[in-house]
Amino acid sequence: MTYEKDRQNQNADAREKKIDLSLLKYFWQAGPLNFSKQDSIPRFLRKIKVLKNFSDGELFILSKYLNERNFRRGELIFQQGDVGIGFYLIFSGQVEISIDDNKFDIDENIAKGRYSLNLERYDFFGELALLQENAIRNATATAKDDCILFGIFKPDLDDLILQYPVVAARLLQSVSMIIANRLSFLTQEVRFLKSKLEDRESNK
Amino acid sequence: MSSIAKNKEIFRFAYFASILSLCLLGLTLLPRISIPLSLSYVCYLMAAPLLPFFTRIFHNRNVAIVFLLIVFTVVALIPLFYLLPSLRSEIERVQYYLPKLEGLIQSKFFEIKLLVQNKFAITIEDIYFQDTMAKIKSFSAKLLWNLPSFLANTLEWAFLVPLFLFFLMKDSTSFTRLLLKITPNSIFERFYHILHELNTKIGDYIFAKFVEASIVGGIITIGLLILGVRFWVLLGILAGITNVVPYIGPILGAIPALIIVYFDNGLGSSFGGVLMLYLIANIIDIAIVFPVMISKIVDLHPIVVVISVILGSQFFGFVGMIVSIPIAAAVKLIALEFYKKIYSPL
Repeated sequence: MTYEKDRQNQNADAREKKIDLSLLKYFWQAGPLNFSKQDSIPRFLRKIKVLKNFSDGELFILSKYLNERNFRRGELIFQQGDVGIGFYLIFSGQVEISIDDNKFDIDENIAKGRYSLNLERYDFFGELALLQENAIRNATATAKDDCILFGIFKPDLDDLILQYPVVAARLLQSVSMIIANRLSFLTQEVRFLKSKLEDRESNK
Repeated sequence: MSSIAKNKEIFRFAYFASILSLCLLGLTLLPRISIPLSLSYVCYLMAAPLLPFFTRIFHNRNVAIVFLLIVFTVVALIPLFYLLPSLRSEIERVQYYLPKLEGLIQSKFFEIKLLVQNKFAITIEDIYFQDTMAKIKSFSAKLLWNLPSFLANTLEWAFLVPLFLFFLMKDSTSFTRLLLKITPNSIFERFYHILHELNTKIGDYIFAKFVEASIVGGIITIGLLILGVRFWVLLGILAGITNVVPYIGPILGAIPALIIVYFDNGLGSSFGGVLMLYLIANIIDIAIVFPVMISKIVDLHPIVVVISVILGSQFFGFVGMIVSIPIAAAVKLIALEFYKKIYSPL
């Protein structure tokens, strides 16, 4: 009995003596010296949905391969028809993506227009350029405010594949996930439009 | 684009252009720095593909860099230690051999002159012959005179090249980052793309040419040693170096060996042997080495290759002939990039 009691006491002692790591971590992160790190790149990347399959260490490696680009309000990021090599994440500010149908040489009978949409912090754009050879930009991106973007470009991806193949595979997985989602959405859309067209033809 | 953004972009552009041109100007004005720097850059391009592999083995980039540096130094030093004594004795022998060769060529020339005079009643002027001989003599004398200063330079490079190479391997990514940071937004993607393409293309080209030259040089050195031709080390090295120049190079490399064999033994079996050796080495180069490396060697039209080699030799001599192809490839790449921008279908 005494032995078991001793054991229990020892365990209790050990529990008291053990450093509470999570508590320390909390104080460390809440400390005033650590304030600037609240907005660090890996933390920012953590909040991007498509990068959720990355571990913290992998995000840290990825963050070293990102290029910070600053754009003034109204400045062009890239133009429709340009050759593109990069994928951008919005760190701060707003970006307007606009498509001008007049730039495409499609059938003149089809109605043409100009479409635009706004992207904000944690959004991303230009992911197709990372995968395509000689990718042509499908839309124009313009900075709506002063913005900070993080870009990852084809040469960075090439380096990443050589140096950290796992991180590169994760990144490619994320980008292909975006594209796969878009493709399945487009397939549904095409199917829907086809059925509508068939309806109209049969009604005629 | 708002006017403030536009102004800022113009300032960025001016800053970027001035820094780039300052660097280029510094490199062209200071050959004592730019030559070892470009040598170490060539070494860096050859070592860079191995770096990730060794980084994975050692789990530390710096250890991998130091390891690669030691390997490079040892690989560069072994042939130097083995070849330097025989190279020196050969160069010394060349000094005595050249006047003899000149006398022989002179006597041959007069024989031919007499023959032509007797058969066709035409006199060949001596001036052409003397001009060429004087040129060759002054060239070879210059080569021998400059040898000590060349060796001194080599010592300086032997210290500088590994130093530059170490920092190129260690910090090349941060240099590139720095350069990219000051690149103006309007040309950023294009500039980064061209920079990357140039690096990989020129690196591949240098690697392929290095392998090709060492294979051809090795075959010829061993062959000449077996055939018992004098100056086999010098001629083998020369064949390796001239092989870098396309089309004309192999011929340029073969001429001195053929002349030496001709004046030593005449048009006999050994002349045929040497001719066969150079032919076989080049056939191996064209039939085996070239197809394996073809994907790495830049795709330029043969006429473009010849023209750029001629232009290179016109402006920068032999060095121009060697560097003309990568420069032509770079120009083609940049021109293509602009073409894509200007003539894009959208």
